[in-house]
Amino acid sequence: MSEKVFVLGGEQTDFQRNWTKEGKTFMSMMREVLDDALEKVGISYDEIKRLNKENRVAVFVGNFDAEQYANQGHLGAFLTEVNPALFGVPGARYEAACASGSVALDAAITHIRAEDYDLAIVLGVEVMKTVSSSVGGDFLGTAAYYDKEAKGVQFPFPKLFGKLADVILERYELKEERFMDALAEISRINYANAKRNPKAQTRTWFMNKEHAMARGGDNNMAVGGRLCITDCSQVTDGAAVTILASKDYTKEYAKKTGRKVDDIPRVKGWGHRVAPITFEAKKNESVGDKYILPWTRQTVKDAYKRADLDVKNIDVFETHDCFTSSEYAAISAFGISEPGKEHIAIEEGTIDFGGKKPINPSGGLIGVGHPVGASGVRMMLDLYKQVTNTAGDYQVKGAKNGLMLNIGGSATTNFVFILGK
Amino acid sequence: MREIKTVTILGANGAMGSGSAGVIAAFGGAKVYMLARDVEKAKQGIEAAVASVKTDTIRARMIPGSYDADLEKAVAESDWVFELVAESYEVKEPINTRIAKARRPGTIVSTVSSGLSIGRLAKAYDEDGQKHYYGTHFFNPPYKMILCELVTHSGNDKKVTQALGEYLDKVLGRAVVYTNDTPAFAGNRIGFQLMNEVAHFAEKYADKGGIALLDEIMSGYTGRAMGPLATADFVGLDVHKAIVDNIYDNTKDEAHETFKLPGYFQKLIDAGKLGMKSGGGLTKVVKHADGKREKFVYNIKTGEYDPYPKFDIPFIKEARQKIKDSDYKGAMDVVKKASGVEADIARYFISRYISYSLSLVGEVVDTKENTDGAMGFGFNWVPASAFVDFLGGPKETIKLMEASKIPVPKLLKDAKEGKKFYELGDKLDARSLFKG
Repeated sequence: MSEKVFVLGGEQTDFQRNWTKEGKTFMSMMREVLDDALEKVGISYDEIKRLNKENRVAVFVGNFDAEQYANQGHLGAFLTEVNPALFGVPGARYEAACASGSVALDAAITHIRAEDYDLAIVLGVEVMKTVSSSVGGDFLGTAAYYDKEAKGVQFPFPKLFGKLADVILERYELKEERFMDALAEISRINYANAKRNPKAQTRTWFMNKEHAMARGGDNNMAVGGRLCITDCSQVTDGAAVTILASKDYTKEYAKKTGRKVDDIPRVKGWGHRVAPITFEAKKNESVGDKYILPWTRQTVKDAYKRADLDVKNIDVFETHDCFTSSEYAAISAFGISEPGKEHIAIEEGTIDFGGKKPINPSGGLIGVGHPVGASGVRMMLDLYKQVTNTAGDYQVKGAKNGLMLNIGGSATTNFVFILGK
Repeated sequence: MREIKTVTILGANGAMGSGSAGVIAAFGGAKVYMLARDVEKAKQGIEAAVASVKTDTIRARMIPGSYDADLEKAVAESDWVFELVAESYEVKEPINTRIAKARRPGTIVSTVSSGLSIGRLAKAYDEDGQKHYYGTHFFNPPYKMILCELVTHSGNDKKVTQALGEYLDKVLGRAVVYTNDTPAFAGNRIGFQLMNEVAHFAEKYADKGGIALLDEIMSGYTGRAMGPLATADFVGLDVHKAIVDNIYDNTKDEAHETFKLPGYFQKLIDAGKLGMKSGGGLTKVVKHADGKREKFVYNIKTGEYDPYPKFDIPFIKEARQKIKDSDYKGAMDVVKKASGVEADIARYFISRYISYSLSLVGEVVDTKENTDGAMGFGFNWVPASAFVDFLGGPKETIKLMEASKIPVPKLLKDAKEGKKFYELGDKLDARSLFKG
């Protein structure tokens, strides 16, 4: 499949912005990000009009919960509001909780592989600052089994991923202090990386290892079992676009923009698996398995197999660090360490910005921010930047292949993509 | 990069002192001597610093002390002495004399000042001291407002300036703007020019709505979250007076007359009505017995407070809707084409703001990115260069200036058409500063 789907680039909004405070909406966010992405990639609305006449272009909108946050559904149709050039372009909204961006990417990739379209615009969007954090926490609870896991629970997701931390600690018989230190280090790395990213939500926030270690109290409150504020990604408003293309269109595009096809990255592999939805069921199912999240591991393996690559070939990772415990579990899922020995990879600096297998040079969800429906698309955009050597201050030297893991729910919907040249 | 392990803060109990100390102890990881008039006040400053950056981890490395007992010892140990005492030569100069005697060679000393001459304050020091003396003008509250105007004077060493700039930028996370030692530096010179001239217009149009009308015209769609007169009320009319008087007395540019303090500002100051901090100034909020709050505005003609009016100005409504839809050029087109006195005023001030910002390049700052940064990061106002792009480029902007009889700065005359004029790029998304 690696000769089928190419990534031409894209753009994201500044995740520090609060669009409600600016008196703007999800709609204005979509308009800005799409205008910016097309300008950056060098594709005009006239070009979209041209492709649309031949039914060669489609749009895929990743969004989790506009109904509740913005009182608006049917987001797939909203790109027609961005520009009349999109009238008639096939478009729909895709939803899989925090993996909504990935399910939109997956649909786009599938259509291009099937040779239905030549150009796919994938836009992930979420406006979240429209409500208080406790109301938003309840909305997010619908990404779990609401009745069983979230109803009446304040901030259900930190609690679910707090349980994941508990299971990791128990199952691998880790020393608590060492494990919590490793989680703090994950947090430190993500915040430190985000400082180099001009679009990161937390780029001006204070955080260091000392603060991440100082759990409890008013300034680093416990929110889910062992997990405190510094272990959590934080919601924000944001949108991201990546533009995918067929090989034929990529050839045309390369010629027009003076680039070589070989310099444009392609989607080399993908994986998509859905684990049991409740955390309890996941936990029970994984008893006796080396991996606490076996379906997450399987998704990674599927992607490696399809790409005919292995962890040794991957230079950079973007992972779904909705909480430090989810990034911790991803380290072994990627194959960077054996399950139960993730803390050693962390302690040895393997996943740090300058390490052998850097994870989240962008800052990840903890550093960049987590506008739910946009995160998967933002990750793909960051892989694009890394493998095209255009990530600026957060560029990992010599990155050729990148892998992203985007999960929805408590590691329920798992998506992995591998991008490289 | 310069290593700064120990810092002394003078004026540790003030909002700016404690806020700056919080940033230095947290981001810089430095040991900080927190000095105030007495130790109790210094301890209050430490708690305020902890609250400002929301981390208890800094408390242990903040040491309270008093000027009388601890200044010399703290200064002698420090790599940086940051003085934030009251804004006057009379208060700052004697403290500088003491710092000068106690400091080790190589120690940086800086002041937070909105407008005093850095060169004059540096005179308290020997040659090495002058070389290491700066203005580090932080904005309030420092954790949230990341601008730092790094003010140099003729005695500085470029290498030291560069090292300090890097430290402020990379370690403390400041948006560093380099300015020369000129009255009020960049941010306040531009910001208070606009605020003060708007205040004059409020007087001129007192019959049509005065203060409230002018703030309505200069509201979010013109690229600022808070109206200019609401900002003056927020910072305090006494502070406003100190800044504009200083600029008026010490500069002679084309906007010179606009820095004269309006008579009604002086009247309000004399009556102790300094703004929000004193319970009222240009506006006031009254809490009724039923708990409801009502906003009033000062009537320049009568000297009374009237209920804050609502306006229905069609072109403003239309421009706001365009901003809401993220159509910034569309909003500026509405402003360009609108008729009526309110639209004339809007065009006049947009032109004035761009013109004055760009006219200071060469005198106050070396590049327009410095004035753009000062206004974007320090005031949360859309930077002048970004405005040029939203207005449709240099030619369109010049047309607007000429129609409003505002001088066209050379920088704009020389600008190339068809190229982006705003060059801060990803550092600051100027669109985020327009409010719909």
